[in-house]
Amino acid sequence: MDKATILHADVDAFFAAVEQRDDPRLRGRPVLVGAWVVLAASYEAKARGVDTPMGVARALRLCPNAVVVEPRMSAYSEASKAVYEVFDDTAPLVEGLSIDEAFLDVRGVRRLSGTPVEVAAQLRRDVRDRVGLPITVGIARTKFLAKVASGVAKPDGLLAVSPERELAFLHPLPVERLWGVGRVTAAKLHGRGIRTVGEVARLAEPELVSLLGRASGRQLHALAHNRDPRTVRPNRRRGSIGAQRALGRRPKTLADIDAALVGLVDRVARRMRAAGRVGRTVVLRLRFDDFSRVTRSHTLPYPTSSTQAILTAARALLATAAPLIELRGSTLVGVAVGNLGDGRAVQLALPFDPHSSDALDAAVDEVRQRFGAPAITRAVLLDRGPGLAMPVLPDA
Amino acid sequence: MIEAEAVVAAGTLKTTCSRDDLLRGLGIVSRGVSTRTTVQILAGILLDATGGKLSLAATDMELSLRTTVEAKIESEGSVVVPGRLLLDIARLLPETEVSLEHRLEEAVVEVRCGSASYRLHTYNPEDFPRLPDTQGVELHEVDRGTLLETVARVSRSASRDESRPVLTGVLVHFEPGKLVMAATDSYRLSVKETSLEGSVPELEAIVPARALGELARIAGEGEKIVLGVHENQVVFGTGDAWLTTRRIDGQFPNYKQLVPDAFEHEVPLPREELLDVVRRVSVMAQRNSPLRLRFADGELVVSAQTQDVGEARESLPASFGAEALEIGFNAEFLRDGVDSVGGETVRLKLISPLRPAVLQGEGDDFLYLIMPIRLAG
Repeated sequence: MDKATILHADVDAFFAAVEQRDDPRLRGRPVLVGAWVVLAASYEAKARGVDTPMGVARALRLCPNAVVVEPRMSAYSEASKAVYEVFDDTAPLVEGLSIDEAFLDVRGVRRLSGTPVEVAAQLRRDVRDRVGLPITVGIARTKFLAKVASGVAKPDGLLAVSPERELAFLHPLPVERLWGVGRVTAAKLHGRGIRTVGEVARLAEPELVSLLGRASGRQLHALAHNRDPRTVRPNRRRGSIGAQRALGRRPKTLADIDAALVGLVDRVARRMRAAGRVGRTVVLRLRFDDFSRVTRSHTLPYPTSSTQAILTAARALLATAAPLIELRGSTLVGVAVGNLGDGRAVQLALPFDPHSSDALDAAVDEVRQRFGAPAITRAVLLDRGPGLAMPVLPDA
Repeated sequence: MIEAEAVVAAGTLKTTCSRDDLLRGLGIVSRGVSTRTTVQILAGILLDATGGKLSLAATDMELSLRTTVEAKIESEGSVVVPGRLLLDIARLLPETEVSLEHRLEEAVVEVRCGSASYRLHTYNPEDFPRLPDTQGVELHEVDRGTLLETVARVSRSASRDESRPVLTGVLVHFEPGKLVMAATDSYRLSVKETSLEGSVPELEAIVPARALGELARIAGEGEKIVLGVHENQVVFGTGDAWLTTRRIDGQFPNYKQLVPDAFEHEVPLPREELLDVVRRVSVMAQRNSPLRLRFADGELVVSAQTQDVGEARESLPASFGAEALEIGFNAEFLRDGVDSVGGETVRLKLISPLRPAVLQGEGDDFLYLIMPIRLAG
């Protein structure tokens, strides 16, 4: 690992860029994507101080001439697939991070495609030509530094950090560039007069741990010295499929959480069926008002991808966690199904609830496939909105 | 909860009984001893010497077991001792006569048998949960053999998955002239109707399958079993033991509407032969791999394949003349079904590879419905 061969490729202002691509009138103008909350803002809007997530009303005060566009998740999903096709054509090892960013390791393609910088430049041209979107690429020896480099190079840029000038590049940067440093951590560091990565690097690990806690203290210490041994791992077949949803700070009743859970299970089960996977272990994740988290899991006797079976197990888990929720309030609920297996041979279950059988799952999936996810929903979710449903990578 | 039954005797227990009687009594109640370690007292067995007999009781709060042992009571009293330990000791005692003496001031029970002696630390009987009352419950008599046979054939379809409590129980339903029991884990369903002679109580309860299993174990002798339902408890009495169990709340699935009215095919097969074929082929159906049943041209071919392990196939003649049909089943579920049908011939009723199949014996009083596994490709 002595050469800079890791690329971090990240589409610029992805949702907004797709909107600007598809509607010429939006080009060059500040664009806000979102109904109530800004999910994405074009660089023109970001320049005026719009950040995500932020209420649309507030964003409009900052940037009164912005155009607000309703999100079109299916368009973003399609654009994402096209971008990933370019990634797959570019490098043998692609590790997807989200719908619009990935790590690529281009070691071994030098003879075929040239140096990492040449490969990255070609990748940017390909995404521009084939998908019509601007993408920024950072190149470095480690994943962490590649991501920092793309962050610095944004928008529509390319930046390679050669191994010999890693620390010279890293240390003058503001601490906010470090992975895992959000507003809270940054404020703590600023409070100690620490503003650059180089100043973090001068602190001993125990000092950082006492300031930020064990996990993030250690992580920051390693990152500030550019120690990141992680390699690019092509996303193997997933071990679990899950979704989560923030509930906001307003106090939530169990019925609210249950409704969120119903929506999440719906989504997770549909993704499982689309990927042809079945799973046995249902995991409920909760985050409380005090930011502590718990997970509860239950393993079913047989693997399933049935919405009803997963929901029954998830609700039983929610019931066991109810006293904790009463006590500590909940700000996030998530559900995941693990212990995944091949869904081709599936044990069918008796349709106890005639409204939630395998046949219904199949019918609902088909409607959504043809008319989009909002075309059909559960009554319990009717007045609650879909939540901020991010499109996800296709499940392998 | 039901009112407490007996007032715990106040003195210090001292009694003598035969080792075999004690062992038999402990064997009955020890299955009610809780294996969970969170509530220590539930790991105990209550010994209660009053009115010239020694009573033993254990409960894990869901299931309670009680019995009495012939004993010579020298001093009345009650005490709670670690249940598992006392059973292990009783199994190994050298002589036939055992004495038990509670030494209150030392908080131990002394067990003496021949020259062997043990001192067991005790729990406070005041902490022992009040056992559900069996007095005042309206009890009905049922033929022991009939009840237990019905339990044996139905209860294996009950679920072991605690996330749906109703399915861990067996629906026990008495109606005029018959007893109906049903159980399902949502992948299969067993229903048995049994005619009853004489007066039949009108009652219905979902009884934990585990409790019925214990009932079968303790109801070793006698013609009759008495039973009754009282509030949230179901009570069973055999010759010398009482079993009470929490009844499961909730609505048992309306299974009648899940059983198809008509089938496309009905294939009679020799039951023992089919069972052997299924057992042999099942060896290669590992890791939830399905057992494949292919009907065609007067033949049934049973096969199984597990990736990286291997495969097996075996055929037997079958009166099947229609277009070939292949259906997949979980090997264990099919084996259970063929086994529980009983009799010489099993009738396999089919509609299509994705619809429920039904196994029945010669009569119509027992039905085993099994959901298929959707096969790949």
